[in-house]
Amino acid sequence: MKLYFTLVGASIRARMQYKFNFLFSTFSYGLIMVTDFLMLAAILLRFDDIRGWSIYEVGVLYGISSASMSLYRVVAAEIHDFERYMVEGEFDSLLIRPVSPLTLLLSRNLDLNRIGGVVQGLSILGISLSHLTALPTFFWLLWYLPVALGTGLIISVSLGLMTATLAFWTHRIREFQVFTLYAPTNAANYPVSIYPGWLKWIFFTVLPVAFMNYLPATFLLQKGGEWYLLVVSPMAALLFAGVAFSFWRFGIRHYHSTGS
Amino acid sequence: MSMIEVQDLTKEFKVYRTKPGALGSLLSLFSGEHRRIRAVDGISFSVKKGECIGFIGPNGAGKSTTIKMLSGILHPSRGRVSVMGASPQHRRKYVAQNLGIVFGQRTQLWWDLPLRDSYEILRKMYRLEEKAYHRFLHRYHDLLSIGDFLETPVRKLSLGQRMRADLAAALIHDPPILFLDEPTIGLDVMAKESIRSFLREINREEKKTILLTTHDMDDIERLAARVVMINHGRIILDGCLETLRERIGLPSMIEVHYREVPRLARLDRVERVKAEGKNVTVHYDRNRISPPALLAELNRWGEPVDIRTKEPEIEEVIRRLYGEQADPRSKTAPAR
Repeated sequence: MKLYFTLVGASIRARMQYKFNFLFSTFSYGLIMVTDFLMLAAILLRFDDIRGWSIYEVGVLYGISSASMSLYRVVAAEIHDFERYMVEGEFDSLLIRPVSPLTLLLSRNLDLNRIGGVVQGLSILGISLSHLTALPTFFWLLWYLPVALGTGLIISVSLGLMTATLAFWTHRIREFQVFTLYAPTNAANYPVSIYPGWLKWIFFTVLPVAFMNYLPATFLLQKGGEWYLLVVSPMAALLFAGVAFSFWRFGIRHYHSTGS
Repeated sequence: MSMIEVQDLTKEFKVYRTKPGALGSLLSLFSGEHRRIRAVDGISFSVKKGECIGFIGPNGAGKSTTIKMLSGILHPSRGRVSVMGASPQHRRKYVAQNLGIVFGQRTQLWWDLPLRDSYEILRKMYRLEEKAYHRFLHRYHDLLSIGDFLETPVRKLSLGQRMRADLAAALIHDPPILFLDEPTIGLDVMAKESIRSFLREINREEKKTILLTTHDMDDIERLAARVVMINHGRIILDGCLETLRERIGLPSMIEVHYREVPRLARLDRVERVKAEGKNVTVHYDRNRISPPALLAELNRWGEPVDIRTKEPEIEEVIRRLYGEQADPRSKTAPAR
């Protein structure tokens, strides 16, 4: 853990070498997030509810999934950009250290520009919560939020790691990310119950985004769920992380490297 | 004591016919359309403590692939590797603690940070104690003058400085084994020489076991007591430098530019003389005639204004070793 912070510190200092670039990209990224938020507000305000979920209830789902997705982009920036390591053969240098390659990868870069996305998600969450104080389960909801964000982060990182692992065979992963990351996390912005059966099945199994917000919300927002779903969801996330990690280990064994 | 044991080591790569796009490349994995390339084909050797081995061969011969299997980066398709008694694949971290690796074409240092920061990070990575770390800084300042540019960002170092910095970084945890992949590539003569004398020093004084790949025959002559030559994934020669010399001699080339068109005379003990106007190129074997003796002969032909000597390429050496029996197989691509 100490090593992780040393390495993260080094990556931030390296980034600060290009101060102007850093400030400019943070600023422009923040601007993008603001417009994104305005768009969403415009859309949400036109609808009263989606299949029995009010805008504020959808806002809770949206806040959790988008904040945890952005958090994933902050802490696991290099997993997200993993194809670079395959294409440029840089992965070799992670395998010659007495430290796990995953630790080295995670510590190489914190994409602080993406913090804007986390703030945006949390703000939407805050606004939505302020309209839901009448719920009998409101305090449950407040208590559960950190767990929900943790669950969301674990699921996002696991999805990212599984997608990155594909690069051991295909080198390129950008196209996969659309299906395995962007699409499911965007879908999780809304209640999973609105999707057709086969898609629902996918969101509970191979791309288990339903566990990050929808499933616990069925209890927390009184949609017929039971309290034990609050335990099941983080458990499912951990299980999925285990699967993703095994797949990653399997991928490393098949790493081909590049000629020098 | 045997530091490295390699038995029947083989690495095959499947090369798929790829279709464009990531989805295409995934589909082609299942289409079964592929050919197998055997980058390393059943090689065996063992390395004793304190040996310095030159690993040579043309591009794509399997040198890098072998080094990558020895260091745990790649998993062998068949055969056995053991480094300090352990499999680099199964006990990767243990082997990494005992191994220093330099890839000449790629730095292991943190590009944007001062060199000192890279050493601080590596020190934590290898759990080095304060005292050992200071000993390291002093020792490698004496040997490689790294103290002169400790505060300079790595991206601003010259290639020669960077290579010295990289070598020191690979040795920070004082590993008994050192793998060097093209350690002198791209360096000028002075820088090459300082790297070589450093490597000789740590090989002789500290009994570090060194395995280096190179394209430079000079590296081999100055450093390696033992040469392993590899071509098409197989070892075609494993012996001391003298064995290599006996088999191929010391092929060299000299180019002389004369003030006037030279008066050519018969020259014994050389292989080939090519004259074009005022230029003369002579291919010769340093075992049979020494360069000064040859120059003395060439001086009689006229007044030289420019003289250049060239060492043979590894490819030339291999060609000589095989004579005219060229390998019919097409050249294998590098590991990919």
